[in-house]
Amino acid sequence: MSFGPVVRKEIRSYFNSSIAYIVTLFFLLFGSLWFLYLQRFLYQNVASMQGYFSIVPIIYILTLPAVTMRTWAEERRRGTDEILLTLPFKEWELVVGKFVASFLLLLLIAALTVPLPLTLLPLGDFQSGPILGEYLGMILLGAAGLAMGQFVSAFAVNQITAFILSVVGLLIITLADQVNALVNLPGWLSGVLNYLSFRFHFTSFDKGLIDSRDVGYFVVVTGLFLYLTSRVLLLRKWR
Amino acid sequence: MIEVENVTKLYGEVRAVDGVSFRIGKGEVVGLLGPNGAGKTTMMRILTGYHLPSSGRARINDYDIYADSVAVRRSVGYLPENAPVYDELTVGEYLEFIAGARAIPRPERAERIEEASRTCGLGSVMEQTISTLSKGYRQRVGVAQAIMHSPEILILDEPTTGLDPNQIKDMRRLLKELGNTKTVILSTHVLGEVEAVCGRVLIMNKGKIVAEGAPDVIAGKLKGKPRFRLEMRAAELGKADLLAAKFVAEVVSLSRGEKGHYTAELITTDERNSGELLFDWAVERGYKIISMVPVGMSLEEIFSQLTREAGE
Repeated sequence: MSFGPVVRKEIRSYFNSSIAYIVTLFFLLFGSLWFLYLQRFLYQNVASMQGYFSIVPIIYILTLPAVTMRTWAEERRRGTDEILLTLPFKEWELVVGKFVASFLLLLLIAALTVPLPLTLLPLGDFQSGPILGEYLGMILLGAAGLAMGQFVSAFAVNQITAFILSVVGLLIITLADQVNALVNLPGWLSGVLNYLSFRFHFTSFDKGLIDSRDVGYFVVVTGLFLYLTSRVLLLRKWR
Repeated sequence: MIEVENVTKLYGEVRAVDGVSFRIGKGEVVGLLGPNGAGKTTMMRILTGYHLPSSGRARINDYDIYADSVAVRRSVGYLPENAPVYDELTVGEYLEFIAGARAIPRPERAERIEEASRTCGLGSVMEQTISTLSKGYRQRVGVAQAIMHSPEILILDEPTTGLDPNQIKDMRRLLKELGNTKTVILSTHVLGEVEAVCGRVLIMNKGKIVAEGAPDVIAGKLKGKPRFRLEMRAAELGKADLLAAKFVAEVVSLSRGEKGHYTAELITTDERNSGELLFDWAVERGYKIISMVPVGMSLEEIFSQLTREAGE
């Protein structure tokens, strides 16, 4: 794996700079508080994790940009991109290396949420299908968000700008389908908004359905943003 | 072997590098000298594949910098300006990343890291986080990074900037050592550095190469004519009075202070004993010299003079 060293370096940076700990802590704390305290899961008498996973897209809006904001903006501010881009890597190898590192962090966070369903399972008659589907959706949605965040970081001036722009971008693309709940749009337009929305594609996973169209959507979005990021890097050389 | 043909780089309207051509043979140590903004850094960025030229061609070991960019980067070690490093990593972690990125086979890695850190004197700080290091050590980490894969060609952008005199001495010794086995291009705006380590000098100004040659020849040209700042007390003194002396070539400035206190800056024609001549001349005329200081030309003046000469 030619980009292996990039993955290792990025992961070291995440943990040495403590960003990994902060993001993980925020994710776990916010999710659990929402589910157990605000949604009062234990009083609702339903054996479903839907309440937990429905908040995941919202937590992502704040956490994914924190993971990706540094990827390129910080390299450029410190001048280390001059080292990175003059090492014998192709642009896409750097982009994929950075993406894989952030994706591994996402998997770690997902793994750390597992104790929650595990402790709840004995309390009622849960179905494992929906929970597994929800995990798959959570991971695919996260991957798309991370790819988008890296793309934003590639042209942002600094990491704060990258963070804010990614939050705004994720907010729009995640909740695009909510416009339909507010105003009555013509059918085709509401269809487009639904189709673009991260949350819309996530809802079927939430119901325990694995629809190849939704899987395909997230995979394509992830690939597209990674491709665009490597184009931005190449374009910068021409400036 | 580095061949550059008619390379131009535009940043918007600005011509950072303007029709530059040169050739550097295997094993040469070449200094790229010029004032800030002359285009040295841009030229190096083009050779290392960080930027692409707007027009022109460049080849390193017969690899084209555009078409075979990755092959070019494989044979080059690069220290960018200000030696950027990953603050949050330790020196060891960073060098390990570089060794991996340079595709050094796993069994050899430890040895190569050890070798690079020994050459650059990093043994005692391998476990330290880079953000805690002094400027001198950061610079050495940057050099260690550049020589990790023992590249044939080293491109070093201002390797001694920001170092204290002792560190500069160490760095020059290191550069000389590296120059024995590698092709080296280093940029600087310090004339003495070029004389100390380089076999050949290219002088850049405003994006162009304005002079080229052996360092001692270039240094002779660059030192320029002797120049003095004089403070004198005199009853009356005009430019014409100063120019009346045979050995005064040019009066750069003349100003009058209180009580017949004059300050003048002159360029003299005589290369050897113009100080003596000036002194005798003042005594003869009854001027009282308060101070007389030889001044060097500033690098900017020298470069603009060289540019004018190149244009003529």
